[in-house]
Amino acid sequence: MPDDLDAARRRLARAQHDLLSALVEGTPPPPGFDPDRLAVQRDVLLAKRLRVVAKTAPELTGILGGRYRPLFLAYAAGRPMEHGYRADARDFARHLLRTAAVSGEPARRLTEWAAATEETTRPGPLRRLTTALTRSRTKGGDR
Amino acid sequence: MGGPGITEAPGTLGTGIGWRPEIADDIAELPGVDWVEVVAENLCPGHLPEPLRRLRTRGLPVVPHGVSLGLGGAERPDLARLAALADLAEALGSPLVSEHIAFVRSGGGLLPSHRLEAGHLLPVPRTRDALDVLCANVRLAQEALPVPLALENIAGYLSWPDEEFTEGAFLAELVERTGVRLLVDVANLHTNHVNRGEDPARALDELPVEAIAYVHVAGGHERDGVWHDTHAHPVGPPVLEVLADLCSRVTPPGVLLERDDDFPSADGLAAELDAVRAVTARTACRAG
Repeated sequence: MPDDLDAARRRLARAQHDLLSALVEGTPPPPGFDPDRLAVQRDVLLAKRLRVVAKTAPELTGILGGRYRPLFLAYAAGRPMEHGYRADARDFARHLLRTAAVSGEPARRLTEWAAATEETTRPGPLRRLTTALTRSRTKGGDR
Repeated sequence: MGGPGITEAPGTLGTGIGWRPEIADDIAELPGVDWVEVVAENLCPGHLPEPLRRLRTRGLPVVPHGVSLGLGGAERPDLARLAALADLAEALGSPLVSEHIAFVRSGGGLLPSHRLEAGHLLPVPRTRDALDVLCANVRLAQEALPVPLALENIAGYLSWPDEEFTEGAFLAELVERTGVRLLVDVANLHTNHVNRGEDPARALDELPVEAIAYVHVAGGHERDGVWHDTHAHPVGPPVLEVLADLCSRVTPPGVLLERDDDFPSADGLAAELDAVRAVTARTACRAG
């Protein structure tokens, strides 16, 4: 039973990753999905990301104003989220600074904000420990 | 493997509303709000917002609603996330907690591929494999949580090919095998009707209505043949009709209005709650 479940986890992991990768990285979609519906779901995810990052880090829209939307969409196009929204907001700010997409006063405020959020978005020791424990347990059986 | 049966009912909740910081003042003044639900990931047990603490002092039940566990994902649930949800339920003295039947991330762990976060709820394929994994994950979550868990059906924008279960049959087997309770979102049933051609009445026929812990109601809108479950529009007749159908079958212990954006005035929120109550009261009279 645990072997069966482990095998089911691996099959499901492959199927879910293929779908999510198609949605957020633009890899070829797995067979059998309606392309129009994949496009709708892709737009829903992107709109949510745009909205939640703005809500999570209102400083960004405060600093960037009307440029927030186009700059974020350009940033997000090639960069799927690997962590949560807070990390995404911080990575977006770093990306803007690295690529010199903003300059002058907005760049100065963005630098300050990115430095202030650095500490709060880095995984703490408890998080790193539980992640390690969870990984080491994945070979064990389920009930 | 024998089913453990449905866990003990957490009691009657009544009519509630999703607590959001933007409408905290309005919620405190709204008449007839029996309980609230909070987005679990937005709160820290040691730093609960003052308006929410005042509601607790008044005796209003507060139910944490998680969005990031991804219990329908291939991986085991993250222990730190489960511990955070458990801590919040303890801090709020919650009668139950809720989450979703969804996957929210992939890669890493079981796969030699990088990790991806969806940032949103994605549908689980209704297959035997996915059901087995979901049941195992739900049991791990139930062990880690101090109160009963209720799981919500999500809004679908796409369908997996080669599914082996209808939504109702999938939920029925999930409840049978884990004893988990259900949070039935009638707006999501409507969404799946428009987007996936799935009849809400059939889902309600097949799912175990006695396992319902509470019901979500929310507004959305249709664009180009796709229903968008926005939580930013008033609740319309199609969603209230699904609520009426549900209430004609069972009296749900709780019904909760979700509003996340484009917040109306306090009067607007009160009118939304009245519309929900009108349906639950009407169907209760008919049943009685």
